[in-house]
Amino acid sequence: MAKTNSAQSALDLLVLTIVERRGPLHGYGIATAIEDLSQEALRVEEGSLYPALHRMEELGWITAEWKASDTNRRARFYRITNVGKRQLQSESERWSSFSAGVSRVLRHA
Amino acid sequence: MSWFSRLKNAVNSRRLEQELADEMRDHRERRAANLEAKGLSAAEARRQAGVRFGNLTRLVEESRGIRLWDGLDSTLKDLRYAGRAMWKSPAFSLTVILSLGLAIGANTAIYSIVDAAILRPLPVYAPSELFRLSWMGPTEPGGPPAQERVSFGYPIHLQFAEVAKPAARLTLFSYLMRVEAQVSDTNAQVEKITRQYVSEDAFEVLGVYPAAGSLAMPKGQAVAVLSYDYWQRRSQANPSILGTNITIEGKSFEITGIARKGFFGVEPGRFVDVWVPASLYDARALVSLGWNWFQIVGRSNRGVTRERLQGLFQPVFHRAQSEQVKQFPMMPAPSRNQLLRSTLDVHDASTGVADFQRIFGRPLWIVFAVAAGILLIACANVASLLLARSTARASEMAMRVSLGAPRRRLIRQMMTESLTLSLLAGGLGWLLARAGAPLLVRLLSIESNPVQLALAIDTRVLLFCTGVSVLSAVFFGLVPAWQASRTQPMMSLRSATGQAGKLRLGKIFVTIQVACAFGLVMTGAAFLFSLGKLFEVNPGFDARNIAVLDITTEAGKKPEEAQRALMFELQRRVAGQTGVVSTALAAWPIFLNTGWDQRIILPGKGPSERQEIFYRVSPGYFATMRTPLLAGRDFQPGDSGPANPGPAIVNAAFARRYFGSLDVLGRSFAHQLGNSQLHKTIVGVASDAYYFDLRRGAEPIVYLPPEGSNGFTLYVRSALSLGPLARLVEREAQAAGSGMRVREVTTLETIIGNTLLREKLLAGVGGTFAFFGLLVAAIGLFGLLSYSVGRRTKEIGIRTALGARRKEVIWLVLKEAGGLVNGGLLIGFAGALAAMSVFRSLLFEIRAGDPLVIGTAVALFLVTGALAASLPAHRAASVDPILALREE
Repeated sequence: MAKTNSAQSALDLLVLTIVERRGPLHGYGIATAIEDLSQEALRVEEGSLYPALHRMEELGWITAEWKASDTNRRARFYRITNVGKRQLQSESERWSSFSAGVSRVLRHA
Repeated sequence: MSWFSRLKNAVNSRRLEQELADEMRDHRERRAANLEAKGLSAAEARRQAGVRFGNLTRLVEESRGIRLWDGLDSTLKDLRYAGRAMWKSPAFSLTVILSLGLAIGANTAIYSIVDAAILRPLPVYAPSELFRLSWMGPTEPGGPPAQERVSFGYPIHLQFAEVAKPAARLTLFSYLMRVEAQVSDTNAQVEKITRQYVSEDAFEVLGVYPAAGSLAMPKGQAVAVLSYDYWQRRSQANPSILGTNITIEGKSFEITGIARKGFFGVEPGRFVDVWVPASLYDARALVSLGWNWFQIVGRSNRGVTRERLQGLFQPVFHRAQSEQVKQFPMMPAPSRNQLLRSTLDVHDASTGVADFQRIFGRPLWIVFAVAAGILLIACANVASLLLARSTARASEMAMRVSLGAPRRRLIRQMMTESLTLSLLAGGLGWLLARAGAPLLVRLLSIESNPVQLALAIDTRVLLFCTGVSVLSAVFFGLVPAWQASRTQPMMSLRSATGQAGKLRLGKIFVTIQVACAFGLVMTGAAFLFSLGKLFEVNPGFDARNIAVLDITTEAGKKPEEAQRALMFELQRRVAGQTGVVSTALAAWPIFLNTGWDQRIILPGKGPSERQEIFYRVSPGYFATMRTPLLAGRDFQPGDSGPANPGPAIVNAAFARRYFGSLDVLGRSFAHQLGNSQLHKTIVGVASDAYYFDLRRGAEPIVYLPPEGSNGFTLYVRSALSLGPLARLVEREAQAAGSGMRVREVTTLETIIGNTLLREKLLAGVGGTFAFFGLLVAAIGLFGLLSYSVGRRTKEIGIRTALGARRKEVIWLVLKEAGGLVNGGLLIGFAGALAAMSVFRSLLFEIRAGDPLVIGTAVALFLVTGALAASLPAHRAASVDPILALREE
């Protein structure tokens, strides 16, 4: 398995969390949700969002389908899969221990 | 993402790009709308959204790469691993590819024959609408079992066609004949071609369109349709051949059409070269009820069932049978009743109407099953090799598991390796099959009756080959892959625990191999013994050094005596040559299924229930065949002629059946010819000799002196080889005049051998495959025992240290080998018994549980097993206890 860099896996973690909690969402919806929830602290670059979405789709973590959206426009909606849920579980555990580790270092150094 | 959608993406990547661009444009528009809602002008909102989004084309490119290649990437990685693994152990890879390739090749070759001969529908329009007619012929007491009769007369065909309207249309096909023909316009030589008479609209009913010209055969016109194949062979597909003439057996036909490419007639196994109209058949055949020389094939209209057709045809058929019975008032009651009760059958003819299917259908399926057995053995062998190898790769697997590779991923990788191996083997098998199938067909073919099959590269065969390869990979790869993926890193790093399961699996694979191999050995032995017994049959004559020459003359219009004089002249001339031991004339050769049957009428009695064989032979026949005369005399030149009563020689079987003793000289009997009875006086008794077939036993035969004819057979016993002898007879025939010449030359041994083609096919293929099966099973057994001895080195060391002697250690290994083989032997034995009782009718003097067969198979297996076990046993016996114990 290719080892993913931490920025990328952080974005994966955020996307997975959003699509799990908020149900089927299109790319723009995911981006705005992350921005809103982080109170604009995290700004999602489209340049990394779409490759990430498509990569996760390839890995089978999320699936997508074209649907008519609220404004009656066609959009591609993403939804989490069972594999994605397991991935989310382990990613979030790793993230917690990683961030706990980092804060411990910051605190005690 | 599924393989299917990935494939779709790869094929239709324009659409994928469009979708990606749509998705991103939608994003940008949403952002712009949002910004506009926050108070920006529309143009400004669009600009900012665009700036923020960045280069859309580049993003689409990137995502497209991900969507197309990311999943493929891991597959490619698997393939690379597989390639590396194969490269690292070339001996293993070669063994697997060769053994599997052979097995897949055998299966594909035989499948391609089965497909071409039995399964593939005729290359005509809607073949499922075709049907053929047949009925079960009568049986006679002590005669062969009832046979399917497929030939009908021309008049009854017309009646059938009449009642079939408008539900179906009927066509007529004569038997195929090898005849001499010459295309007139070219300076072509006379050559042998296959000719068939067909009804005028045969091609129209079949739905075969012309490659050139027209395929209609207007009544009474001497036209000929060539097959595409013959057209190419004869004139390199030159259309100018249309309108020229072809001379067939002295008659001239105008070539008016060429049938479409790929159409060889309605008999798979035989290629027709030229079709001519049935209306030009012997005029008597078109009007007389008794000349049943045509097969009837029809096409039913949509929705007409075969049952309904049967209902239409049956009354006509019954009427014809009643007529037949009336014409032969001498027919005994049992035969009469059988004829009156017989029913007409309407069969599916979508795959054609072939003798070949009837004769070789079952043997081919058996050979196919045998090939499948070989494949199973090869797969089990590869599986156990893979299993053994996975032991060697345990640490590699353990490493990857501990680095976090999920189990599915490991299985996938191992399966990729297996698939790569089996597809390579499949490729090899494909090549072998392409080369081997024609050889196998040649095995079934004889010169006077050449078998030809359309074995062209065929998608069905290709699919079969690929399917078999993939299935093999699943069969031999899945279990070892699953086993390997269960590797527990800790266990594997500690030592070789967890190997017990592997050994158990290995035992299963060895059992499969032993079962299949034993089954194959038993069936192979049965077929070989059966053929051996047929060779041992004493047919009552000595076939060695006898040449059989088919002679024709152009004296057909001369009186019978003149023709007879010509025949005796040739016999006299040939008999005088140096090197010729003796000669004889006969109406036709024995063992060609040609015969003349008559009912015997004893003085004061009605006609016999059975019809007996009548055979016309010249003086010298019994001496030439070395069939001893038990009493009386041979024929003399003066015996021929219209004298009534005339002389006859009967064989011992005839004397016993009709007179109850061999003391029959001077007794007389009669037989019917038309409306008169011909009386015969017995002047000699010959010992029994076979006439039709080695399997049937000696039957009663009546020998009569020869009658003049423009076609006859000359038997020559000589020390000369066939070529010089044929030239000698040809020279003498020309010297005798009246256009006499040699049409066909062969030996009596060849003729008899040709009646054993099925047996030779089964014994040849069965025996060869049994040998391979045995070999592979022995290798498998050897491998597993070696592995097991290796594992038990310590135990054996301890035993030796505690005073076990060499003999006891060897016994230990042999006992293990016996345990391994036992189960497989039982399964194989049961399977072979079941199989043998299914194809009992193809065996000669071999019963299903024949002790000779079982004994041979068991003995062969014991010897092979002992050989396979001896090396590991020897190694076990040489274990040095000190070294074995120190190894820990």
